[in-house]
This record gives sequence, structure tokens and C-alpha cells, in this order.
Amino acid sequence: MFSETPSGGPDQGAMLGILARARPERLKALAETLLESMGEIAVLTNRTGLVMVPMRDTVENVDFHLGEVLVSEAHITDAAGHVGYGMVTGRDLERAMAMAVVDLRIATLGEEPTTTDFLSEERAYLVAEDEKRMRQVEATRVEMETF
Amino acid sequence: MAYVATRGGEKAIEQAERLFRQDLGTIDASRVETIKQTMPYLIDRVMGEASLYSEELAALALAQTGGELSEAVLVLRAWRTTQPRIAIARPVQQDEILTQRRISAAFKDIPGGQILGPTLDYSHRVLATDVLEGKPYAPPAVEAAAKPAPSRQPSLADWQRQQGLVAPANASDVAPEDIPDLTREPLLFPASRAHRLQSLARAETGGVLALGYSAMRGYGNAHPTVNELRLGEAEVVVRHPSGTEFSAGRVRVSQAEVTSKEKGGFLELGFAATFGWNEVKVIAAATLDLNSAEAPVGSPVHEEFYLYHTESVEASGFCIHFKLPHYVTFQSILDAMRDAKAKKAAAEQKPAETRQMESAE
Repeated sequence: MFSETPSGGPDQGAMLGILARARPERLKALAETLLESMGEIAVLTNRTGLVMVPMRDTVENVDFHLGEVLVSEAHITDAAGHVGYGMVTGRDLERAMAMAVVDLRIATLGEEPTTTDFLSEERAYLVAEDEKRMRQVEATRVEMETF
Repeated sequence: MAYVATRGGEKAIEQAERLFRQDLGTIDASRVETIKQTMPYLIDRVMGEASLYSEELAALALAQTGGELSEAVLVLRAWRTTQPRIAIARPVQQDEILTQRRISAAFKDIPGGQILGPTLDYSHRVLATDVLEGKPYAPPAVEAAAKPAPSRQPSLADWQRQQGLVAPANASDVAPEDIPDLTREPLLFPASRAHRLQSLARAETGGVLALGYSAMRGYGNAHPTVNELRLGEAEVVVRHPSGTEFSAGRVRVSQAEVTSKEKGGFLELGFAATFGWNEVKVIAAATLDLNSAEAPVGSPVHEEFYLYHTESVEASGFCIHFKLPHYVTFQSILDAMRDAKAKKAAAEQKPAETRQMESAE
């Protein structure tokens, strides 16, 4: 799966990562708004399932399976064949569908103020949350001294 | 082993289950949410042993089993089989983990430094009984640093390799879909390293601790020192239909490397990891990995011994099946016992009769 060359580039990857971790209620509200002006959408997949997560052993560089993560997935298309895709950890089909709707909208029209603002706000929120946590973590840094 | 069919128990069996569930009361979403929010380390332990990462489902499993861990893990493993596998994520690499705890007992000055993170390591273990007297315990706030800790920390083992302290390792060239998978194939011995580490990742915490502890106390070949212990969050990196990689979210993971002594000019290292934050499990599991190389067959640090005996569902299932009806087996034991007693009694009676006859003569 990861031996193929990705085609969407890092910006699309970052955008999808923000959508996957965006605050669920805000994401769903945005998708509802966008749907009002979008045409017919075909749902190819909207299901829960598992993603196996491998990890690399640091001693011998051997990849092994850590376990499976429950995810929700949505895969949709519009009449022109544009694709929208959402996958989020956890059991929330609406959230995955909302992500797919926003992805489809961006695939169809490019970024527009509504989606750009949303991505920008959610990115800022997620960065702030991480920074808050990691400042607390930094407070636990210890300098060991031997006597 | 033999079993005997029994009749007349259907109603009792139904009432027994009802009694178990009645004792737990009504389970609703709020109870599940409370367990999820307040018992993160218990949730982590259950998710690791179930090999299924879902905090919500782990909390539900705990709620409906009343915290009976073997049953909680069993019900999660069973539920897992109802779900399709959608993808295999990009392998998690140590230096990509959002690291929140990272310590070394072997080296005090490690690149990136030592970060205690959330821990009770240096705390007094005092029960907050005031809570029971109506005085809630509100933890004091953390005095956050001005700058955040680096979100990513380098691999200590890689740094040690650069110093010539740890043996070189070949780059992994196995495609994710070709990684050996215990959920799709049997565990055979000698086990591949991928099978051993996957099996330890889903092993039962208490079992791993008991066997790892036995090695630490001297029933193994090597006494461990923690080279690095790391708790953090790993991204679940999947692919969009266009081929673009993205993170679908984060999962909590634990990793431990333990070291012992020099061998062949390099430090020996053992490794283990699991879902969730469960450092006792990964330190004990890494100790078993460290001890495996020259372990005598039948010893607690031999991989066949510890992998078989720490598989939670098999171990608990085998243990509790002994309480199920074994009447035929046991009846045959009783028959054999009675037969032996009868023969012994007959043998004792015969010489006595013979003696009586001799004295009469």
C-alpha cells in the first residue's frame, strides 16, 4: 500500500489530516452547509472497519503489527466523477461522511472562503491544543546529575 | 477429555446470566462515557490486550462485564472479527511519535533529554480518603513551561548505533501487506520477530509481568536496565483514493527498550510495544525479548513458553473451562479410585482369612 507514489502532495495530506482531527460538531455543521449547494452525491462506502497499524522495532528494524484501530470511512462521488473521502479514528459515520463532503467540495471547486477559513481555524485550534499539552510536558523535563 | 450432556439447566443458565447482569444494573451511554473519561489507563490496558483501539468500545466492554478483564478482552476480540479490515497503515516509526514521556535509566544524557511526562514514579502512594468524607480531590494545575517540548524525539537506539554501541540493523524492506500477522496465521516456533512482537503487544499484562519479573529475579539470562521508555501518540497514516497519505487520527502507544550487557562488542537490546500507555507491560515484555536468545526450552523466558502463556483469551479460556461439566472424566477417576480401593480391601482380607484358617488348624 505504501510502496506506491502518492499523487496528492503534502498540502492535500495536511488538509485531510486537519479534517480528520477537526472538532466533530463544527465539521458536521460545515458539511451540512456545503451540501445545500452541492448536486447529487453517490455514496460508495460509509462504514466502520479496521486499520491495522504496524510499528518498526528499534532493535532490528523489523515491522510488526501493533493492533487494529477502529475507524469510520466514507467514500462519495458526484455526477462529474469527483471523489470525496473521509476516514477518522473511532465510530462516527457522520463525521467520516462530513469529512468526505468537505473533501469532495474542495476537489470540485478548490478552496473557497468557507472551507479555507474552516481549515485555518481548525489548524490553529489543533496546533494550540498540541502546544498547550507539550508546554505541560516540557515542565516535566528533568536534568539528572550523578554524585 | 470427555463431556456429558446435561438436561434441566436451561432455566438456571438464563437466570444466572440475568443475575450477573442485574448486579451491574442498567448500562447507558453516560456510564460508558464516565468509564472512558475517568479510567484511561484501564481502557489502554484493555485495548492493548484486545488488539483493538477504540476507547469507546473498550469502555463499553468494561461496563457490560463489570470490569472482569478477561471477559472484556474476549468480547472485544469477538467484536473485532465482525469488522472488515479496510487498510494497513504506514508503519509507525519511533521518531515520528508525539512523545510525552521519555526516560532512560541507562544513560542520563540522551539526545532530546529526559521527560518524565505524566507519572506517579516519584509520588507518595497515598489513598485520598478525604474524598470519601465529602472533600473532592482537585489536582493542582501543571505549571506549564514557556516553550513546548519538541513534538518528536530522536531514536535513542539510532544514536547508540552511530556511537557504535548497538549493532547495526538492516533497513526494513517488507511491504506492510506482507508483514506476518497472527490474526491471519498461526503462531509457529521458532517465531518470526514480527510474530513475537505482535504477540507481546496483545499479551495479557499480568502474565507478561509475572514472567518478565521471574527473569528479572534471576530465572532468566539477563537483568534489564531500561535503555528507553517512551509513551506518546502515533499517527494512523492511511491513504486517500488519490494516493495521498494523511493521518486519520492518533493512538496512544508505549515502547520500551531494555539492555543488559555487552555481547559481541555491542549492547544487547530487547524491545516491546503496545497500544495504550502501559509501561509495566512493555518493560516486562522487552525483558522477555531480551532474554529469548539463549533461553533454555521450558524456561519462562523461552519464547514458546511466554508467548503461549500470556495470550489472554486462550489462557483465561483454558483456565475457566475447567469449571464446566467434566462429569465423565471425573466419574472415570472415581471409578478407578473405587476399583483400586476394592482391590486393596480384597487383598487385605485374603491374608487375614488365610491366617484364621492356619490358626484353626
